[in-house]
Amino acid sequence: MYDFDWSSIPGALPFLWEGMKISLEITVSAVIFGVVWGTLLAMMRLAPVKPLAWFAAGYVNLFRSIPLVMVLLWFFLIVPQLLRSFFNLDPNTDVRLTSAMIGFALFESAYYSEIIRAGIQSVPKGQVAAASALGMTYAQAMRLVVLPQAFRNMVPLLLTQAIVLFQDTSLVYMSALADFFGAAYKVGDRDGRLVELLLFAGAVYFFICFAASQLVRRYQKKLNAHVAH
Amino acid sequence: MISIDNVSKHYGSFQVLTDCTTQVKKGEVIVVCGPSGSGKSTLIKCVNGLEPFQSGSIIVDGISVGDPKTKLSKLRSRVGMVFQHFELFPHMSITDNLSIAQEKVLGRNRDEARAKGLKLLERVGLKAHAEKFPGQLSGGQQQRVAIARALCMDPICMLFDEPTSALDPEMINEVLDVMVELAQEGMTMMCVTHEMGFARKVANRVIFMDKGQIVEDDSKDAFFGAPRSERARQFLAKILQH
Repeated sequence: MYDFDWSSIPGALPFLWEGMKISLEITVSAVIFGVVWGTLLAMMRLAPVKPLAWFAAGYVNLFRSIPLVMVLLWFFLIVPQLLRSFFNLDPNTDVRLTSAMIGFALFESAYYSEIIRAGIQSVPKGQVAAASALGMTYAQAMRLVVLPQAFRNMVPLLLTQAIVLFQDTSLVYMSALADFFGAAYKVGDRDGRLVELLLFAGAVYFFICFAASQLVRRYQKKLNAHVAH
Repeated sequence: MISIDNVSKHYGSFQVLTDCTTQVKKGEVIVVCGPSGSGKSTLIKCVNGLEPFQSGSIIVDGISVGDPKTKLSKLRSRVGMVFQHFELFPHMSITDNLSIAQEKVLGRNRDEARAKGLKLLERVGLKAHAEKFPGQLSGGQQQRVAIARALCMDPICMLFDEPTSALDPEMINEVLDVMVELAQEGMTMMCVTHEMGFARKVANRVIFMDKGQIVEDDSKDAFFGAPRSERARQFLAKILQH
């Protein structure tokens, strides 16, 4: 029987917390950028201007057809060099976090744009007609009438996607960037307690994601109740 | 006020409107009727440019709707429109529904816009519902709010696109009452409707459309008394039968 020894965890908590901060930083920046860029992509895809629609469709299909691991790997291999030469950085500057953030953000916006596109299309066309009939421009109709309704319907899906994204941030371990998973792995490797540390890390991921998805479910129930009346 | 001249429109090979010509003078109330699919809703939506058309011209208050140089949003802010399905904004309170376009399009300040909204809400008899959301009102009440919302913009004319056909029968009259009052105050109105009682009461002229063409354009007495075309006679006989 394997002898569990959890004693290396308490001392490692500050280091693990640093890792958790990196995981959260990547998640939050990718969600914010993903929603903004995803909204623009969704609007381009629905725009009457054909080249814009083609560009957005191409972008979305490209990123949705490539495994996330490969996108991240390319970003780790290419973006650091680009950033260094572009900003004339010292070759020793650590840009792994920045390239991870950019990689996730660009990848996630493809998924967000599809959620947002469906959200925009769920708003009845008559709403745009009514807004236009009141003299609003297309941009005003989108900003004041369509997007607020679309986002309200989309929030549960966007949050669910954010939870998946939070789990996926663990993929950055392959660049040896110490996110939460990477940090747990390092500590376990150092102390020869890999099994304990990975079990602990798994429990933390489970607790956070399960709690978050319960909150989303509760919000969705409230939303449905609100719409019904 | 509104001059429609030889307007034609097609979706692909399907002809929706064929050489429609008519005029609406200031203060006139025109009722547009006809069987479904006859193009009456399309025609009225061409007037404020919600539907593009391929040939002919529409002039509203001296401004050409089809001219690519015309700023349609500016023109639409002066032409009120009421839709079959109300189209209130469900994520805003009634007050915000009434004031948003006044603020964002006309540039009125918040207090001025709210005051105007409340005044018109009172006029359609719904002042007590100012802080509610559209989903909390009945269909008839929502349609009256929609009329008030259009009136908030001080329109030079009003377009009604089947304003009562999505309503339960007992709510139709509360909406028609508001429209009759508006007509009697001298508002220029173009109404697509099957409410012949309304047409009899306030219309100056009745336009009858069939298959995308204006078949009849006559004073209401002439239209109800002795329609010239066989098609209009059949239509009237059918809807006035019961």
